[in-house]
Amino acid sequence: MRSTHWARLALASITAATLAGCGLGDPNGSDGPAAAATGEVKGKVSLQTWALKPKFTDYMEGVIDAFEAKYPGVQVEWLDQPGEGYSDKVLSQASGGTLPDVVNLPPDFALPLARQSMLLDVAKADPKLAGDYIEGGIDAYRFAGKDGAYGYPWYLNTDVNYWNSELLAKYGLDARKPPNDLDELIAQARTVKEKSGGATYLMSRKPGLGDLADAGVKIMADDGKSFTFNTPEAAAVLDKYRSAFKDGLLPKDVLTETYAGNAKLFNAGTVAWTTGGGNYITSLATDNPTLAPKVVPSAAMGTPPLYVQGLSVARNTKNPAAAVALARWVTNAENQAAFARLTSIFPSTKTSAADPFFHQSDGGNAGDAKVIAFTSLAKARILQPVEVNDAMKTVVNQQIALAISGETDSKQALDTAVSRCNQLLKG
Amino acid sequence: MTHRRWFTPWLLAGPAVLWLVAFNLWPAANTVILSFTNAKPLGGGHFTGLDNYERALNDEQLADALVNSIVYLAVCLPLLTLLPLLLALLVERKLPGITFFRTAFYTPVVASAVVVALIWGWVLDDRGLLNGLLGQFGLTDRPVSFLTDRWLLLFSAIALTTWKGLGYYMVIYLSALGNVGRELHEAAAVDGASALRRFWHVTVPGVRPTMLLVSVLISVSALRVFSELYVLSNGTGGPGGRDMSVVMLIQMYSRGFSGHIGYASALSLLLFVITIGPMLLLARLGRKAA
Repeated sequence: MRSTHWARLALASITAATLAGCGLGDPNGSDGPAAAATGEVKGKVSLQTWALKPKFTDYMEGVIDAFEAKYPGVQVEWLDQPGEGYSDKVLSQASGGTLPDVVNLPPDFALPLARQSMLLDVAKADPKLAGDYIEGGIDAYRFAGKDGAYGYPWYLNTDVNYWNSELLAKYGLDARKPPNDLDELIAQARTVKEKSGGATYLMSRKPGLGDLADAGVKIMADDGKSFTFNTPEAAAVLDKYRSAFKDGLLPKDVLTETYAGNAKLFNAGTVAWTTGGGNYITSLATDNPTLAPKVVPSAAMGTPPLYVQGLSVARNTKNPAAAVALARWVTNAENQAAFARLTSIFPSTKTSAADPFFHQSDGGNAGDAKVIAFTSLAKARILQPVEVNDAMKTVVNQQIALAISGETDSKQALDTAVSRCNQLLKG
Repeated sequence: MTHRRWFTPWLLAGPAVLWLVAFNLWPAANTVILSFTNAKPLGGGHFTGLDNYERALNDEQLADALVNSIVYLAVCLPLLTLLPLLLALLVERKLPGITFFRTAFYTPVVASAVVVALIWGWVLDDRGLLNGLLGQFGLTDRPVSFLTDRWLLLFSAIALTTWKGLGYYMVIYLSALGNVGRELHEAAAVDGASALRRFWHVTVPGVRPTMLLVSVLISVSALRVFSELYVLSNGTGGPGGRDMSVVMLIQMYSRGFSGHIGYASALSLLLFVITIGPMLLLARLGRKAA
């Protein structure tokens, strides 16, 4: 019967299309030939950045114009994506095979793309990489179980402590003598709570994996195949927070509030401590101009976290020589130094370390914060492994919230988090 | 007489069929197949049999999410089936200025769920409007944890859904009430029936098919609740993620570079099966009542 024939044909088409769509054929199983980065620098290349327009439009256009002037045969197409939904944008580009030639990817975004062989091994394509960039920056783009480096480190940052000196003084504390560890922090938080009658807080965020790493807890096995942060030391850190929460030293919101809530409350003047990048006071001066002058910066407690931004090169770029040259150009010492003068970021090139701009404060608190951040970079490291993806972060946050609220034993919460994260890691 | 070729109907229906296959059937079929794989957003994915379903059965998060979704349904269903009907009876009368009230009750429906949840978030926050008022009138000595207590957060979201949905279902009931014969009410009144008896014996039977339709709509949307809980909990699913709905759980597993599309697809199918349950039950009740 004709209608049956058509129905069968339609069903077969749907099944075939579906099987192809779900990737059962594993099209990415083979690495294929690596793109060569040698040859003449010419042709059209695209460069994708993350939320630099409109604040840094002039800067980026200057960098691109200079590159095109140096290599007259090259034409650069600059794409700038908004901050919101950037990971989704990159994901759709990658899965659709339209990844720009050079793309701004922090290491955690670069990892899955590198694993799918979508990024060029720049250590192989550019032998001078290790000589020009600091080791920590390049290491951020080296991934467990995968040879090579998959991005040029672009700029670095770390966290600095920021104290509301007015609030602290009001409750008999001195912002110039900040706490050095968690115990001292909790002690000062108790003073603030008691003297303010519970109206003001010092602590306003729950701990994360970074805090556990800072306490000496090993987050992940060296081979990157399992998590290991369910130790008694980690449980002890959570117990301290749990006891502080029970005593009302943290607002209840910390159980659901995302990390940004901490800075939000500080900006509003209801908590006296936050952490932020080296340029935090500059942005605070726009949000709350009366508070900004009262802020005193100090070095992060323990090991400062290292934040790395970088430029990766798409493996299927049609002009690998031009793409590598462009990535190197944007991240070279001169261009990074110029960028750092516009905003408080820190260059990842070795020669930049000697630049006095980063060592000297202008005497203001924003200048002090910049110098503190720059000097902290020497001992900063990536506290949260790049393997920790969004779903894992959610699981860890949930379990830590349960431990701090007292609903679950700290060790039990960590065991559950490790077991679920391991399951997510395996896929 | 015009000669009709066999392919003419196919030619006419073709675009619609293609649309249906591409945007309805194929994604649905794809979800079924993906649920048997360990597919990731960036490709790959191998057949893993029933692994995803086995994992779902042992997933404590899914159990929590299911409890939340079912509580959501159990509370929203009677509230949103009855309250809009009572509201419709109130605004059905032709009184001066009644249009203002109809519009006012409908206004929350047109507001974005995210915006509404944000505003309610500010109201219910520890330092929000409601806690401020409760404290000022001396009703509480410390802020009520509307957004940081597992059940209070869930019931805050239910209150928000009810408030936002009232106007929508009220409009559906208004059109249904227009079909309930006025002469039946008049006859019942002449027979001495009270307002309550007239409501129960005249109005309710007249709008029963609409009540069933509304119940089905509420069941589906309650089981698919996302925005309210997501925004009120700042995307965390409540303290410890204990207020997460099934849709939030699906979202958590499917998003990002390392999303677990296979497991998220299996959860989607389970949600689909669970949603079918109340609908079949309501359809059965409808048939019985008829």
